[in-house]
Amino acid sequence: MTTATATAVAARSRRLRSDLRLLAHQVGYEQLSFWRNPQSAIFTFIFPVLFVAIMGALFGSVGKSSYFGGLSALQYYVPTIGALSVLGSCYGQLAVALAARRQAGILKRVRATPLPAWAYFAGLLAHCVLVSVIDIALIVGVGRLYGVPFPSHWLAIAITLVLGAASFCALGVAVASVISNAEAAPAVAQLVLFPLMFISGTYMPIHSTLLNRVSGWLPVRPFNEALTGPFALHTGADWGHLAVLAAWGGLGAIVAIRRFRWDPRPE
Amino acid sequence: MPDALEVAGLRKSYGSVQAVRDVGFTVRSAEIVALLGPNGAGKTTTLEILEGFRTRDGGVARVLGLDPGDRSSARELRERTGLVLQDIAVEPYLTVRETIARSAGYYRAPRRVADVIGLVGLAGLERRKVRSLSGGQKRRLDLALGLIGDPELLYLDEPTTGFDPAARRDAWELVRELRADGTTILLTTHDMAEAQALADRVVVLSAGVVVAEGRPDELGARNGEQVRIVFTLPGGYVAADLPVTAEFVGGRFVLLTPSPTQALYELTAWAVQRGTVLAGLTVDPPRLEDVYLRLTSDHALASEPEGSTR
Repeated sequence: MTTATATAVAARSRRLRSDLRLLAHQVGYEQLSFWRNPQSAIFTFIFPVLFVAIMGALFGSVGKSSYFGGLSALQYYVPTIGALSVLGSCYGQLAVALAARRQAGILKRVRATPLPAWAYFAGLLAHCVLVSVIDIALIVGVGRLYGVPFPSHWLAIAITLVLGAASFCALGVAVASVISNAEAAPAVAQLVLFPLMFISGTYMPIHSTLLNRVSGWLPVRPFNEALTGPFALHTGADWGHLAVLAAWGGLGAIVAIRRFRWDPRPE
Repeated sequence: MPDALEVAGLRKSYGSVQAVRDVGFTVRSAEIVALLGPNGAGKTTTLEILEGFRTRDGGVARVLGLDPGDRSSARELRERTGLVLQDIAVEPYLTVRETIARSAGYYRAPRRVADVIGLVGLAGLERRKVRSLSGGQKRRLDLALGLIGDPELLYLDEPTTGFDPAARRDAWELVRELRADGTTILLTTHDMAEAQALADRVVVLSAGVVVAEGRPDELGARNGEQVRIVFTLPGGYVAADLPVTAEFVGGRFVLLTPSPTQALYELTAWAVQRGTVLAGLTVDPPRLEDVYLRLTSDHALASEPEGSTR
């Protein structure tokens, strides 16, 4: 190895370290803002845990049944509500927070600093994944209290979780990019999400073939199914459903990249 | 040393509206320049082009030798410039120290957080949540965010709006200290007293063009502005008795004239002849506010102001 390439390698590793430090810095402050804000901490974080606890109280004693596809009620709800928590922490949180930050001029202020855009978004993504992971761990814990065994395929769950979180983050940024009015953002985000979760079996199993076929091409059901496999059915990563999810994530990313604005006033 | 800012022939339209038609000025290193003009004159658009938030349709813009429209040098430029925007834009749930420390992490060589807190007068409030700060305190926090990167060039967009008089005085003092340390400052303001007190030079915009430029105290003289002579007269005199045209306003005679020497000579001669006095006599040079109002209203009425421009 020549000295020149050695220097280049050293410079690259120095830059990598400083990039990672920047990312950690960014994630740390996103976490701080998130946990300090009662609205995000309660609605985004506590709600899914509370939801699964209530479902456990209501259906904890319902054993395996064909209505829940051969699973017990709580075996069914732990992954679907886990998915719901990811939707809330990623899609819901970003759609609302980014629209609000843009309207308040906070995004413009960030843009005026040397922080690169990639670091801002990577920081948000890592922050959202972190919130999702903590939320899912709590949901699994509550499920365990109601007798749902711990899942065995952790790698498949990790893959599904990161891919799902990334895809729903991209969709959340896309929605925040398309909506310019921060007051409208929560309404629009929920308006899209609520019926979608309903027909995707988040709240109850859907036994309509037509609905299932339609929702199978939308982003929520594939995520539910991809989580249910490794959580309850002892299967590995569900590549078919993950592919549909990734396609939606890619679409979201394209819209986000093309339409995202930092400035509250359009040019 | 090259100029910190060079702008020439700058143009920008939004649809059919020409926000900036032809703007040119320079700002030397370590100089304070105020950009003045009524709402809609093109100040904010000009500033946003220089800050890199908007693209220009034409003209030249060099900021610290870099082109603000060039994406490849954007990060470098942001390392070296700081800005304080009109809107208060800070996360409500972080503390003062956290907010500033967060921004400090974005720069290669930031100022020390504690120093900046002291500079903007927020000492003692480090652990307060941003949401519990008063409007004026949030503006100071904004200012802190503009300073934390230790910028060579600082943009201040109406920096003291909402400040009480003491806070405003402190902010002016800070701006002067920054200039003394070599920071170049481009500010906008609607407060002519602020421009007069702070700016080395002012640039007056109207309807997207520069209508005047110069030192605040020079502008009046150069634009044929009128000196204001005010006095009272004891006993029974009316304006018609005077040898000059004056108005009787609020118990005092007010006279505006482009030739004060002549007017004062006539007035004092008149008073001496009659054995009376010009009580409370004051002679004031043209105030920047008067010059500004005339320049911008003239320009709005006719497209070319009388007298010399530029």
